[in-house]
Amino acid sequence: MVRSSRSLPYLLLLPGILLSVAILYPFLTGAYWSFTRYDLGSGAPPSFNGIANYVRLLTNGLGLHAILITFVYAALAVAVETILGFGVALLLLKEGPLTSVFRALVVLPLLMPPVVATIMWKVMMTPNGVLNYLLQQVGLPPFGWLGTTATALPSTVLIDAWIYTPFVILILLAGLQSIPDDVREAARVDGANWWWEQSHIIIPLLRPFFVIIVVFRGIDALKSFDIIYTSTQGGPINATMNLHVQAYFTGIRSLNIGAAMAFLVILWAFCYALAFGLLRLRRGRPA
Amino acid sequence: MVTQPQQATQVHTRLQAAASRQRLGEVGRIVGLVTYVTFALFPLFWILLMSLKKPIDVIAYPPKFIFTPTLDNYRDALSRPDFLLPYKNSLIVTIGALAVTLIIGLPAAYALARMDFKRKEDIAFSFLSLRFAPELVIILPLFVIYQQLKLYNTYIGLILVYQLITFPLMVWMMRSFFEDVPREIEEAISIDGGTWWHSFFMISFRIVLPGVAASTVLGFIYAWNNFVFGLILAGRDTQVITTGLLQFISFQEIQWGSMAAGTMLTIIPEFLVAIFALRYMIRGLTAGVVKG
Repeated sequence: MVRSSRSLPYLLLLPGILLSVAILYPFLTGAYWSFTRYDLGSGAPPSFNGIANYVRLLTNGLGLHAILITFVYAALAVAVETILGFGVALLLLKEGPLTSVFRALVVLPLLMPPVVATIMWKVMMTPNGVLNYLLQQVGLPPFGWLGTTATALPSTVLIDAWIYTPFVILILLAGLQSIPDDVREAARVDGANWWWEQSHIIIPLLRPFFVIIVVFRGIDALKSFDIIYTSTQGGPINATMNLHVQAYFTGIRSLNIGAAMAFLVILWAFCYALAFGLLRLRRGRPA
Repeated sequence: MVTQPQQATQVHTRLQAAASRQRLGEVGRIVGLVTYVTFALFPLFWILLMSLKKPIDVIAYPPKFIFTPTLDNYRDALSRPDFLLPYKNSLIVTIGALAVTLIIGLPAAYALARMDFKRKEDIAFSFLSLRFAPELVIILPLFVIYQQLKLYNTYIGLILVYQLITFPLMVWMMRSFFEDVPREIEEAISIDGGTWWHSFFMISFRIVLPGVAASTVLGFIYAWNNFVFGLILAGRDTQVITTGLLQFISFQEIQWGSMAAGTMLTIIPEFLVAIFALRYMIRGLTAGVVKG
């Protein structure tokens, strides 16, 4: 070897490290701007104003509302996707020709752009769209979908669940397949019924996989942007305005960069709190 | 006292009950699966129908399931510059981003998987952490910085920012493939007088080539699907496919049929390349935590 092997790994990593440092620059600049008054429209340079942006965000209704929507959306999405995904993964566990076709088909929503998926749902969710038509066919009243303050948030969560439940299915299916058959058989020989078997044996064994789901899906749902921006733009009357979308409108539309960065730094802190859970998880290496 | 024949009948009925319970379970399983697959595929089916409808059939109420199909929408989508330009831009930016990621990411993934050195996990996690940041926390400052650097509305600017998704995704996914190769390979190569360079080539381009390819496919899908980078950092000339499609419904009078055709043309290539990578997808989605 020409080079000493002590420095070789760092040399191989150097371009990647440089890239990370390059990304750190806009991040730190932006974090600084969150402590300034920076109105891009006025042409004035950023002027330091301490924690004024954060104080305003945490004391006025708009900021607190956005934090609330961020968490309600993420909690609902993760809960719905985990429960639904677990159910479908159990159904897909048994091998068979039909199962392998279904395993491939259920992944499709995960592969397409979330924006495109949302456009599809938006088309179907119009007042005279196909979903209300189908509801009418089975004798149910039309639903408000994205159009009313009460139904908009559940509707965006429905779109989220349509796109990302396959993610949960894939992970739990891998988890279920890692459980040896004799574990199940032992439970059955002991006379355990189906429900007892799931709740006392299968779910505890899948714990690391559920943690992965909550970390990955949780972070992505906290920073959900594409679905909400495309379907409702945060409306109607802010009913779906989470931190990420609020930051977009504050920063890009109103050009109030300082306040927008305060929204984003808070959202970043929430996401990273969850990400550190993953770091500890990977040290434990469940799979 | 239970006689022999009675016992036999009891066992028989119990077996029968078990068999019918199993059949019932099987029926329930199929019903459940068909219900979920219908939910998962109906929107795709509906947009496919819409892409084949004449304008009059698109807006009909009650919605039409049966109609005379037409390919006019596809012809229209393929002839309009506001669809073709974003499509081309997406191809340029996505392929450019993948090339950059492979050049700087392949050695990085190799080092993180096959070598021991200080602060390895910290470096690996700092790469991964890029994926966990809300995109705007970096994009919004870049919106200002790019305008000063004249990178706003350029391919180079977009290719650089797309590294935010392709780099952590592909490095961690390739790393998990590299980790699967037994250590004896390097030993064998060094006994034969080969250097790390031979090992790197042997492992990257021979042994785990399918893994590198699968990582590239998943990187392609994620880059192609991205929306927020183009929304904020692309101008008229560099608009990507996702922002382009959204304009179909926001700006001009809504042309549902052409929009639906454009949607199909956007996702079909992805479905085709994905078939190949499906088996390995789970590693990419979980940064190699789950091997699948």
